[in-house]
Amino acid sequence: MITALDISTSALVAQRVRLNAISSNIANMSTLRNENGEMEPYKARYPIFKVDDKIRTEHGAAGVKVERIETEDVEPQYKYQPNHPLAIKEGDKKGYVAYPNINMTREFVDALEATRAYEANIGVMEVSKNLGQQTLRILA
Amino acid sequence: MFPTIFDQSTVPVLEQMIGFAQARHEVLAGNIANFDTPGYKVRDLSVDAFQSRLQEAIEARNEQHMEVSPGLLKKEPVQEMQKVRETFKNIEFHDGSDISIEHQVTELTKNQFMHNLAISIMTSQFQLLQTAISERV
Repeated sequence: MITALDISTSALVAQRVRLNAISSNIANMSTLRNENGEMEPYKARYPIFKVDDKIRTEHGAAGVKVERIETEDVEPQYKYQPNHPLAIKEGDKKGYVAYPNINMTREFVDALEATRAYEANIGVMEVSKNLGQQTLRILA
Repeated sequence: MFPTIFDQSTVPVLEQMIGFAQARHEVLAGNIANFDTPGYKVRDLSVDAFQSRLQEAIEARNEQHMEVSPGLLKKEPVQEMQKVRETFKNIEFHDGSDISIEHQVTELTKNQFMHNLAISIMTSQFQLLQTAISERV
């Protein structure tokens, strides 16, 4: 049986995934190489949320799930450093080094929003628990 | 005498519910304790198996009141409850995907609610018996 507690739990899990993506973005602000060691400046990642059909009560209340993690597609920041070992060798960007273009302000505000959403869902869980306990008081 | 007083009420069924809730609590608490253990697979007790066995035990008990034709063996209620108790040991292992600590905490909360509900109902059953014995409301 799907209850309000399950729906709130799905939201907690989704917000935590979001916070993980944000901390990954902030940690990798200056990362020049990707996981395979190739020269590729880090691009910001963010999760896409979707209504979860599997967590659904009979009256239509539904939970949330992470559909996929998107990688943002923005132009990297270019800095002129001709003596840097990873500088671009040919083309019109010769002598420039490509740095990640991560907007710190946006990441921090998103982190705030994820935290508040997490706390709000915990608040809802407290209310649901309270309802259950009050019901038991009828018997006592 | 004692078996007949309680067999007619819901006390044996509630007793099984409480036992199951306590066994499940231990399994779920073990999950949280082993949260950081490498290679640990999350475990749970099957609520569905417990509920279907309990349903069978209740139906078997209700059949006791029907007439037994000669040659038909009557099912002992103790045997049915024994089968219900076996589901307390049916540990299932999850495959490790999509299991988070929030899920464990939620399952613990729901389990706790079922446990407290069964205890409250059992308490009011005994209070009914008490009222009947003392003849005072």
